[in-house]
Amino acid sequence: MDDLQFRRAIYADPNNLNADTIAALEQDASKKQFANDIALLDERIKQALQIPVPDYLCNKLILRQTLASHQVQKRKKRFHLALAASVAIVGGLMLNFMQFSSAYTNLGDYALAHVYYEEGSIANNANNQVSLTLLNKKMSAFDGNFSKSLGKLLVADYCRFDGMRSLHLVYQGITSPVNVFIVPKNEQLTFTSAFNDKQYYGNALGFNDSNIIVVGDKNESIGQWKKNISETVAWSI
Amino acid sequence: MMTKQVRYEALVKALHGDLYRYAYWLTHEKQVAEDLVQETFLRAWRALDSLKDEKAAKSWLITILRRENARRFERKRFDMSEYEEATITDTLSVTTEQELENHWLRDKIAKLPPEYSEPLVLQVLGGFSGEDIAGILDLNKNTVMTRLFRARNQLKEVLESEPVKRGVYNG
Repeated sequence: MDDLQFRRAIYADPNNLNADTIAALEQDASKKQFANDIALLDERIKQALQIPVPDYLCNKLILRQTLASHQVQKRKKRFHLALAASVAIVGGLMLNFMQFSSAYTNLGDYALAHVYYEEGSIANNANNQVSLTLLNKKMSAFDGNFSKSLGKLLVADYCRFDGMRSLHLVYQGITSPVNVFIVPKNEQLTFTSAFNDKQYYGNALGFNDSNIIVVGDKNESIGQWKKNISETVAWSI
Repeated sequence: MMTKQVRYEALVKALHGDLYRYAYWLTHEKQVAEDLVQETFLRAWRALDSLKDEKAAKSWLITILRRENARRFERKRFDMSEYEEATITDTLSVTTEQELENHWLRDKIAKLPPEYSEPLVLQVLGGFSGEDIAGILDLNKNTVMTRLFRARNQLKEVLESEPVKRGVYNG
C-alpha cells in the first residue's frame, strides 16, 4: 500500500480501517502518528458537529402531530355528521312528497282507480237501498242536495281514497253498478270532462266547490246520467 | 401491539436530535432546521405505515428531510452565500476552551462546500457507512469516499494554518 492510498483511506473513514490499512499502519510509526492525528481531528469534528438540540423540539414534534391528526379526525366527524343530516333531509322530503301528493294527475284517472279499487264489493242486484233523505243528509257535507232520486241507490258512503275525502254513490246500472263521486275541487287534479278506458266510460261535471264524476260500463248511457245529475243537483251557498 | 402513535413517539424521541443536527448542517439556520424537522416528521407520520424496517428509519427520515429541503428551494431560492457571516454561531454557549474551539471549527465546517460537508455530517454524526451515504445522496461510493477525503483534508489544512491563539484573550 503506497502512501497516497494510505492517506486517502485514513482521510475517507478514519474509524473503519480495512485490514490492509491497519497492517500498513502497524509497520510504520509515522503512518501510525498520522492515523492518530486524523482520529483526533475526527473527534474534534464530531464535537463541533454536536450542536445543541432545542429541549422543546421533541415535545413540539409530538404535539404538532397530535394536533394535526386531531384536526383530521374532527374534519372527518363533521363530514359524517353533514352526510347523515343530508340523508335525513332527503328522506324526510321524499316521505312528505309521497304522502301528500296525489298519485293521479287528473280526475279521470282518480275516478277510474277508485272504481277499480272497489270493484266487485257491491253487486249490481244487491237488495239494500239508500233513501233520498239519507243521501241528502250525506250530501250536506258538500253543501249539495238532490231534488229527486236518480235510480236505485245501493250505497252512499264517504270514503277517503288516495287522501281525498269524497262521497261515493253506487247506483244500480244496466249490467254493472254506476259509480258517482262527489269530490271537493282539488288543484292537483286537472279537470277532465270525459274519459274512458277498456271497460268504463266516465264524465265529470264541474261546480263551484265540488266536482261530480259519473263512471259506468259501456252499456250505460253516461250522457243521460250526466244530464240527470245536473238537473237534480242543487248547491246551497 | 404497538399503535401508530406509540411508534411515532418512539421515532421522534430516538431520532429528532440527529435529524435536527443534520438539518442544521444542511441549512445553517436554526429556525429553518426546526421547520424542516417538523415538516419531515409530519410527512413521516402520514407515511409511517410504509416504514417496515425500524432499523432503516434514520436513513428513511433523512431522505424525507433532504426532499423537503429541496422543495424549500423550489418555493424560494435562498442565496447560498448568506450564511457567510456565521449565523451558525452560538455565542452564548461559548464559555469553555473546548466550546471556543468547537465554535471555531463549526465555522470552518460551515464554510466547506455542501457537497463535502454533507457526506461528512452523515458519516460522523449519522454513523453511516460509505455505502449508506452513497445510497442516501444517490452517488457512487467512490465519489463519496473522495469527497470525505477532501472534506477532512481541507479541515486539516485550515486547522494547521490556524493561529496559535484564537479568540480574544485578555490580561
